[in-house]
Amino acid sequence: MRARTAWLVFAGVTLLLGVLFFWPLGQVVSGGFWVDGRFTLRYLVGVFENPIYLEGLLNSLKIAVGTTGLALLVALPLAWIAHQFEFRGKAAWSSLVLVPMILPPFVGAIGFQQIFGAYGLVNTLLGLGPRDWLGGGQYAGVVLLQALALYPILYLNAVAALANIDPAMEEAAANLGSARWQRFRRITLPLMMPGLFAGGTLIFIWSFTELGTPLIMNYTRCAPVQVYDSLKEIGANPFPYALVSVMLAASVGLYAASRRLFGGRAHAMQSKASTPAAPRRLRGGRAALAALPFALVTGLALLPHLGVVLTSFATPGSWYQSVLPGAFTSANYVEALGHDMTVSSIRNSLLFASLAVGFDVVVGIAIAFVVVRSTIRLRGALDALAMIPLAVPGLVMAFGFLAVSSQLSNARWLADVDWWRRLVDVRTNPTLFLVLAYSVRRLPYMVRSAVAGLQQTSVTFEEAAANLGAPPARALWRVTLPLITANLIAGAMLTFAFSMLEVSDSLMLAQQAEYMPITKAIFELFQLLGTGKYVAAALGVWAMAFLTATLAGSSLLLGKKLGAIFRV
Amino acid sequence: MAVPITIENLTKRFGERTVLDGINLRIEAGELFFLLGPSGCGKTTLLRAVAGLNEPEEGRILAGERDVTRVPPHQRDMGMVFQSYALWPHMTLRENVAFGLEMRKVKRADIRARVARALELVKLADRAEAKPNELSGGQQQRVALARALVIEPQCLLLDEPLSNLDAKLRLEMRGEIRRICKEAGLTAIYVTHDQKEALSIADRLAVLDQGRLLQIGTPREVYERPVSRFVAQFIGETTFVEGRVRSTGGGRAEVETAAGVWRASCAGAVAEGAKVWLSVRPEAVRLHAEGGADDNVFTARLHGSMYLGEVAQHLAELPGGVTLKALEARPRVVARDGEKAEARVVVAAEDVQVLTE
Repeated sequence: MRARTAWLVFAGVTLLLGVLFFWPLGQVVSGGFWVDGRFTLRYLVGVFENPIYLEGLLNSLKIAVGTTGLALLVALPLAWIAHQFEFRGKAAWSSLVLVPMILPPFVGAIGFQQIFGAYGLVNTLLGLGPRDWLGGGQYAGVVLLQALALYPILYLNAVAALANIDPAMEEAAANLGSARWQRFRRITLPLMMPGLFAGGTLIFIWSFTELGTPLIMNYTRCAPVQVYDSLKEIGANPFPYALVSVMLAASVGLYAASRRLFGGRAHAMQSKASTPAAPRRLRGGRAALAALPFALVTGLALLPHLGVVLTSFATPGSWYQSVLPGAFTSANYVEALGHDMTVSSIRNSLLFASLAVGFDVVVGIAIAFVVVRSTIRLRGALDALAMIPLAVPGLVMAFGFLAVSSQLSNARWLADVDWWRRLVDVRTNPTLFLVLAYSVRRLPYMVRSAVAGLQQTSVTFEEAAANLGAPPARALWRVTLPLITANLIAGAMLTFAFSMLEVSDSLMLAQQAEYMPITKAIFELFQLLGTGKYVAAALGVWAMAFLTATLAGSSLLLGKKLGAIFRV
Repeated sequence: MAVPITIENLTKRFGERTVLDGINLRIEAGELFFLLGPSGCGKTTLLRAVAGLNEPEEGRILAGERDVTRVPPHQRDMGMVFQSYALWPHMTLRENVAFGLEMRKVKRADIRARVARALELVKLADRAEAKPNELSGGQQQRVALARALVIEPQCLLLDEPLSNLDAKLRLEMRGEIRRICKEAGLTAIYVTHDQKEALSIADRLAVLDQGRLLQIGTPREVYERPVSRFVAQFIGETTFVEGRVRSTGGGRAEVETAAGVWRASCAGAVAEGAKVWLSVRPEAVRLHAEGGADDNVFTARLHGSMYLGEVAQHLAELPGGVTLKALEARPRVVARDGEKAEARVVVAAEDVQVLTE
């Protein structure tokens, strides 16, 4: 790539991302610190002095710590087993164990209550009568649900980290007389640390700011829900801005700390693996024993979603103080399909997600090209810029976009211009901002996919094309893009799937029934009395089935490289 | 159309490191020219500069009369055979070979005919619809060659094209490449670190080290009249004997060494009393031969003999602790382990080169 072209792309992309990140974030920060034309720390201090906000922040912190810890406890043993042993069905189990990642925990929450609630399946089955398993508050439920949805990120990172360790490292330890468990503790685990921290950071930030699950679980005393509840007064009250700023600072701080601690790959392998890893082959009972944890974790993680499926087929009101619903019906699906909100929400989600994919594919390829194929000095900075959305919680971005929208739609000259309102006022039509929010939030996955593809594709393929007379654009089109198609499709599918089930942006930005995406529709339906919960479950099942199909496709295309996308 | 390639004062740096240091070179039209040197000497960098795949900091590259130094690679019309072949795995052989012609907007019917001819030339016409990864290394190499040749380039560039092949195939392809280049009348620049490849098929060759040109000449000139110890030992095997010049004249020098006085051939001017090295090729050392007036004759003890079939290799220990490597065709003398055979050793003055550096 010629330096001039690279700089041009660099400038364009930086400008675009700069506007898309820093304008909303700037709005958030200035909203909390810049009140009535002057700088003030009053609201920041106020957040910490207000017992309600303080409790919310602490509760969110507790959720994040609990979720990350639990996810680690689940993921690490699984990864170790997958790395150490070879057994029948391992490939299938290691894919199945990833499935919960794509099932939105906030949909699972609907089924979760049916199963673990006071009058739910578990208590009835055990004949315990109404007993509260989740400790009054819904804290344990929220943590369990999120950990069971997010552990695959850690699992993927741990497996990738293990695969990167030269088996000779462990062999050397064994040769010097160290037993299997000691080897793991003294050699393997320290070498895995960068990977574990990368995955852990993502989960921590994710669960710290997760909005959907606490909302459905009715756990209102955490910061994200408090922010959500204050949206109505967004114009007048600086406190939510200050609260969001605190969450932003905490997330970015954690992300930066983890990058600094384990920047890139701290323990870069000095050599490529000299011997292939030789997992021990297990047969019969031992093989079953190795598969058992996978089965348990997958089963437990799918249980809430099983609850959703059962709920979607239950005759409203028939699943109460019984193990299974008393009567089954498909009426919920019929009603869901007949419901205005449902049909339009599916259409909206498909549209928004497709537009976001289009945006991310173009921008992602451009960024990846500069990062991998150019030699300009600032290419690393561009890579880092594209990764920012991993550090910035969706809730914060959504809040920022909301603020930008309100600023733009109140612009003096254009406030009364109809098309302008339609474009920028989320209260009129949130399409633009929803698509931008989806795109920005999923850009890192697309960039990672494209970068991985380009790194695996020798530059000589492009040089050969140039040598035979292909101008850069044609070489890109005829040679480079076809060679990285699998990566691009996989990245696009992930972007698409995650946009379809995006919660924070959807809940916060979509306010008109007409423009609601699926997730917001599920939430709205859930709140309706009567059949609402059952219709919401039916819509949830549809969305999960759709996403499972999409992601199964992408993981087939990308194979083991899927893990590379979920690294910081 | 084959054109001469002129390289003027070319300098290329990667950061602080100077990889090419003021290279001057003229490659004639239709010439098969070799760039030879150890890895890291800059030969591939030079080739890539000619192809336009890197931009030199200083100097010019001319293709014929045209200055192409700043021309992007896709407008240079130089077919390159990459070391890794760089065959596009998502295209069939036919599509790979046709690519360059499509870029040149050649008519469809002509493309078909020319691709067929090119695949015929490299004996792969029957595999036209195969994908590159279905082929053996040798076949891939031939496709890469066909892809570069089919555009009838001004100049063919080959970057260690045979380094990924096994020894037998390498020998075969060497001859093929020369035949094809000569039949098409191509100017070709061939990069390799394999001196046998260079000696066997080059019209001329250049030896590079650390970004500098050390010597340019025909294979015979460079082998028989190396300009420095580096060139002498890089191309072929040799033994150096250190000494001081006693007298010079008539293309000969008398050199005082630990083994006595040698008569050696001396191309340039050497000061009397100067410290020099004599380069003696193993095959120039004759055992049990008759010595003439222009010959150096020693009595040596042979040891460390190795029987290699068509030849035997001996270490001949001369007086004063000087040891020469000697190659004996049709081996007669084979010393057993630990046994030291006496032998008369004869080296013609013509075969001993005086090197000053």
